[in-house]
Amino acid sequence: MINITVNGQHHEVDADPNMPLLWVIRDILGLTGTKYGCGAAQCGACTIHLNGEAVRSCVTKLNRAAGQRIVTIEGLSANNDHPLQLAWNEMNVPQCGYCQSGQIMSGAILLRENSNPSDQDIDDAMSGNICRCGTYQRIRAAIHKAAAMQTEGAKL
Amino acid sequence: METNSISRRNFLRVSGLAGTALCLGFYFPANAKNEELIAASAEGQSGFEFNAWMRIDTDGKVTLTDHRAEMGQGSYQSVPQIIAEELEVDLKDINVIFAIGDPDKYGSQITGGSSTIRGSYKKLLNLSATAREMLISAAANKWGVPASECYAQSGHVIHKPSGKKFNYGELVTDASKLSPPKDVKLKNISEYKLIRKPLNRLDTPMKTNGEAIFGLDKKLPGMLHAAVERSPRLRGKVKSFDDSAALKVPGVKKVFKIQMMVFNTTRDGVVVIANSTWAAMQGRKALRVEWDDSGFEHVNTADIYNAHEELLKKEEGISHKKQGDPDGALAKATRQIDVIYQTPYQSHAAMEPLNCAAYYQPDKIEIWGPIQAPDWVLNDISTKFKMPKDKVVVNMTFLGGGFGRKAFLDYTHEVVAISKEIGAPVQVVWSREDDIKQGPYRAGISYRGQGAIENGEISTLKFKMAGQNIDHWNGPARGKANGSTSEGFLKPYYDSIKNISFADVPYEMPLPNMWWRSVYASTNGFAYESFMNEMAVLAGQDQLDFRRKYLKDERCQRLIDKMEEVSGWKSRQKNQGYGVAITECFETTVGQIVKVSRNAEGKVKIDKVWAVMDCGWYVNPDIIRAQVEGSVVMALGAATIHEITFKNGLVEQNNFYDYLMPRMSDAPPVEVHIMENTADAGGVGEPGLPPFAPALTDAIYDLTGNRIRKLPFNMNAV
Amino acid sequence: MKKLIVIILIASITGLVTLSFRPETVKTDKYLVLPKDSVGSVKAFMSVYTVLKSARCMNCHPAGDSPLQGDDSHIHTMNVKRGADGKGLYSVRCSNCHQAENTAGLHMPPGNPKWGLPPANMRMVFQGRTPRQLALQLLDPKQNGGRTKAQLIEHMAHDDLVGWAWHPGDGRTLPPMSRPAFAAQVRLWIAKGAYAPSAKAK
Repeated sequence: MINITVNGQHHEVDADPNMPLLWVIRDILGLTGTKYGCGAAQCGACTIHLNGEAVRSCVTKLNRAAGQRIVTIEGLSANNDHPLQLAWNEMNVPQCGYCQSGQIMSGAILLRENSNPSDQDIDDAMSGNICRCGTYQRIRAAIHKAAAMQTEGAKL
Repeated sequence: METNSISRRNFLRVSGLAGTALCLGFYFPANAKNEELIAASAEGQSGFEFNAWMRIDTDGKVTLTDHRAEMGQGSYQSVPQIIAEELEVDLKDINVIFAIGDPDKYGSQITGGSSTIRGSYKKLLNLSATAREMLISAAANKWGVPASECYAQSGHVIHKPSGKKFNYGELVTDASKLSPPKDVKLKNISEYKLIRKPLNRLDTPMKTNGEAIFGLDKKLPGMLHAAVERSPRLRGKVKSFDDSAALKVPGVKKVFKIQMMVFNTTRDGVVVIANSTWAAMQGRKALRVEWDDSGFEHVNTADIYNAHEELLKKEEGISHKKQGDPDGALAKATRQIDVIYQTPYQSHAAMEPLNCAAYYQPDKIEIWGPIQAPDWVLNDISTKFKMPKDKVVVNMTFLGGGFGRKAFLDYTHEVVAISKEIGAPVQVVWSREDDIKQGPYRAGISYRGQGAIENGEISTLKFKMAGQNIDHWNGPARGKANGSTSEGFLKPYYDSIKNISFADVPYEMPLPNMWWRSVYASTNGFAYESFMNEMAVLAGQDQLDFRRKYLKDERCQRLIDKMEEVSGWKSRQKNQGYGVAITECFETTVGQIVKVSRNAEGKVKIDKVWAVMDCGWYVNPDIIRAQVEGSVVMALGAATIHEITFKNGLVEQNNFYDYLMPRMSDAPPVEVHIMENTADAGGVGEPGLPPFAPALTDAIYDLTGNRIRKLPFNMNAV
Repeated sequence: MKKLIVIILIASITGLVTLSFRPETVKTDKYLVLPKDSVGSVKAFMSVYTVLKSARCMNCHPAGDSPLQGDDSHIHTMNVKRGADGKGLYSVRCSNCHQAENTAGLHMPPGNPKWGLPPANMRMVFQGRTPRQLALQLLDPKQNGGRTKAQLIEHMAHDDLVGWAWHPGDGRTLPPMSRPAFAAQVRLWIAKGAYAPSAKAK
C-alpha cells in the first residue's frame, strides 16, 4: 500500500510501486483529465503537480509520490475558475482539447512563480507541452490574460 | 434561401425516445437521393424510434445530436450555433450529444474533407426554422390568433399585440402533432444574431477541467485493457511468440495472436490482455515475438525519391488535365524552367494516440472511441463480423485530434476482434510509438514542374506528379490518373494561361498511406505554388502582382487585394523576406503571406504570417481563425522539422523525440482575415494548411536567394 | 631519478558555496603530489579532456543556457533553460522529467537525484573550451565552484552525478575511458603540477 494525496483526498493505493502516476491516476483513481500522449516525457499531456512542481506523470513512478501531495487538472480549482481556466474559456484556446489539461497545469506553475510573465518566460515555461492543433498563439494570449486577471484579483 | 420539402413520418419504428418531445430530423429512405425532413412526437410512443437531430422537451431544453465528430474543428459549437439562430433559442439551453454511427439517419458522417458545415448547414437551418414555425403555429392556435401576429425569441413564442408568451416547453405537445410547414423562410445574413459571431465554444469549459471524455477516457463496467505488439515491418506475420515472461507480469491475464485488416491486407499482432493499461504495456514489453516478413519489399526512403525522379524524367504519365499544347510550347520556348519538388511522408500524430473500446456479444457489438467516420465503422464491423447493422452501435467520443487517421478502420476492427476472443469489454491503447510507426501515412510525393515565359507572360505550365495513390488500396488504378493530381491548384488559372497540363506518373509501393489534413493539396500546393513563384521570378515580376494578373476571378482579386493591404506587402523593409502562396481546397481559397528575417544569431526566423480565407458563408469567425492558426503550426512542422522515413522496411521514427513537433517557442504569430461574402460555405478545417510551406520557402528565397524545393528543410541551415 | 612521493597537507579553503551546486563534503584535504612534470601533467589532462568533452559530461556543461542532448550533443528540445539554480525554469524543471534514477528504455529521461546544470552564477562551461581554457577554468576556484584541488579530485572521482556518466542508461555512449581510469588521470594531472596545455593544444 502506498499513501498519496490527490486533490486533497487521501488514497491508499495497492499497485506496483513502479507504475507511473499517470496510470495510477487514470486507471486506478479514475481521474481521466490527465492524458497519455507519449509515455516518454516528451509532450506534457500528463502534467500534474507533485508537491507543487509540474511533473510528467508518465515517467514518474508511484513510489516517488509516497506520502506526497498531488494535484491534477480536476483539482486545480473548485469551479473551473482558476485564472487560467477563465482565460482559456474567454480566449477559446482549446481545439481538440486533449493537451490542454497539461498546458494549464504547466501554465499554473508559471503564474505562481511569475505574476507578469513575458513572452520569453512563456516560451521557457510552456515549450515542454505539445499542442498538435497548434493553439500556441492562444495559449500565449490566455496566459497574459490570466496574469492580468490574477493581478486584478489580488488588488481586490 | 432555398427550402426543403417536409413530410410527416410517423411510421418510423423501433424504440428509443420516451416522454413528450418535439423531434425533428431527416429521414434518408434507402436508395433515396434526397433526404426528407421529418417531425414527430415522442409522446406515449415507447415503441417509436427516431434518431432526431433535434429534440425539444417539455422543459424547453433542446437536445441536439451532433452527427459529426468533434476533433477540434468545432462542430460541437458551430452546429448548435446554426440551430439556435433559426430556432430562436439561447445557446445555453442547448445540450449536445454525439450521434451514433447511422448513415440511414444522418447521411454521411465522415468528418473529413472539411465538410461538417458545408455539407449540412442548409439542412440545419431549414430544420431549425421548421421547428420554430411549428412552435409559433402551436402558440397561435392556443391563443386563437393568426400566426403572423406571433414571433419567436429566446425560447419563447410571443404574441406581439398582447405581449402574451409561452415558452417552448409549453408548446411541445401541441407542436409535435402538427405537420411541418412546407416552405419556411430563412433569415438573411444581415438578420443573424448568432451566426457569424465569434461566440465562445460550448466544449471549452469541459476541456479546461478534465471533464471532456475522449476515447482514451472511456470506462466500461468490467473493461479489460489490451496492448498489441504489431509487426514492425508493415506486412510481417507472426512466426512464433513466447509469452512466458509476459504472463508473469502482475495483472496480465491472457496473450494471443490477433489480426486486423489494413484495407485489403492483414496486419498481425500479439495482444496482451491485462487489468490495467500499464500492466498490458508491461506485458507487451516482456513478449518475445518472431516475425516473418519475407516477401515484403524492404523499402528505403532514398530509393523512393530516386524512383520518383527517374519516373518524372522518363515517363509522361497518365494525363489528368490538359489544355492547349504544353509540349509544343515548351519545345520552342526560350525562357523556361524545369524543376523537381519533393514532399515527405507524414504521420498524423494526433495528441490522443489511437485507442478504442469495444464489447462483442453474440447478438450485439458496441464500440466507443475517437472515431471520425462512425458510419464507415458501422458498415465495416457489420460486414467483417457478419452482424446485422442494427445490432452494431458505434459511439463517438471527443477526439484528441484526428487529421484523417481516425477515419481509418484498422483499430476499430482490431478491438472488436479482441473483444470477441475474450468475450469481455476491452480497450486497446496504442502507444505513441505504435501511432508513429504503424502508419498509414500521408504519402511523400514528388513533382516536376516545367514552364515557359513568353513576352513576360506565362505561356505554359506542365506538371507531373509521382507518388503513391491513396486509392491504390482498393486495387491499383490501372491506366487512370490520380483524380487529385491538380487538387489545390486555383481554377481561374485555367482561364488565363493557354497551355496547361497535369499528369500522374503511377508509382506503386506497399506502404500504407491515406489522407492527412488537406490531403493532396498539402503536397500539390507546395509544388504548384512554389512553381508559380519561380515563374514570377523568371518573368521578373512581383509574385503577388503576378497572381493578380492570372487570377482574374473576382473573389481571387479581392482576396489578393486584402492580402496586400493587411500584410504591408508593398512597404517591406530591407532585410525582410516576404513570400506568398494561394491555394484552394474543399471549396475554400486561402492566401498566405509569410514574413521572415534573420535573428541576432543569423538564423532565419518567421516574424509573422498573414492568412486570408475566403470560405463563403460561415458560422463562427473565431473558430475559423483558430483553425487557420492551427493549420499554420501543423504546416510548419511538416515543412521544417519532421518526416517519416524508411530504412530497410522499418519506420525510423518512434516518438516525439525523433518526430519533433513545433512548440510554443517555434510558433509564429498568425493574423487571420475572413472574406465577407454570401457564396456557398466552403471548408474551414483544412484549407489553411497548404499555402504555408510555399509561402515560407518563397519568403526565404526573397531574403536569401535560396530556393527550397525539398521538404522538410532545416530552418537553422538556410 | 628516484621518484619521491610526498603527501602534503593543504589548508582547507572555504569554497564559494553556491545555492544548490555546492561541492560535496570533502573527506580528505590530502592529495597525491609527484615531482613537477609538465609533459606528464598535460598528457594526463588531455586524457581527462576527452572525457569532459564527451557527450555524457559536456551535455550538462553547455556554452549557452540550454542543456544539450544525445550523443550528437544537440540543444535540448522543449526550449529547456538553465534557470538561476541550474535546475530549470517554471514548469520545465529538470526533475519534472528526470527522476532520481534512469527511466528504462531508449530515449527515456536519464536520471540522478542531483540532475541539473551548473547554476547561472557558476556556469562551468565545457562546450567550446580549448584544453588550456578548460584546464585553467577547472583550477580556478572562482570558476570551478570554489573547489580546492583536493575537492576537484574528489568531485571527479566520487561525485554521484559525475558518476552517472558511466551509468547513463539505455542507448547512450559511455565516456572514452572507465571512471577509475578517468579519476587516475585527474590525480596524475594534479599530482604532476596541474599544468594547463599550451594554447595550441586541441
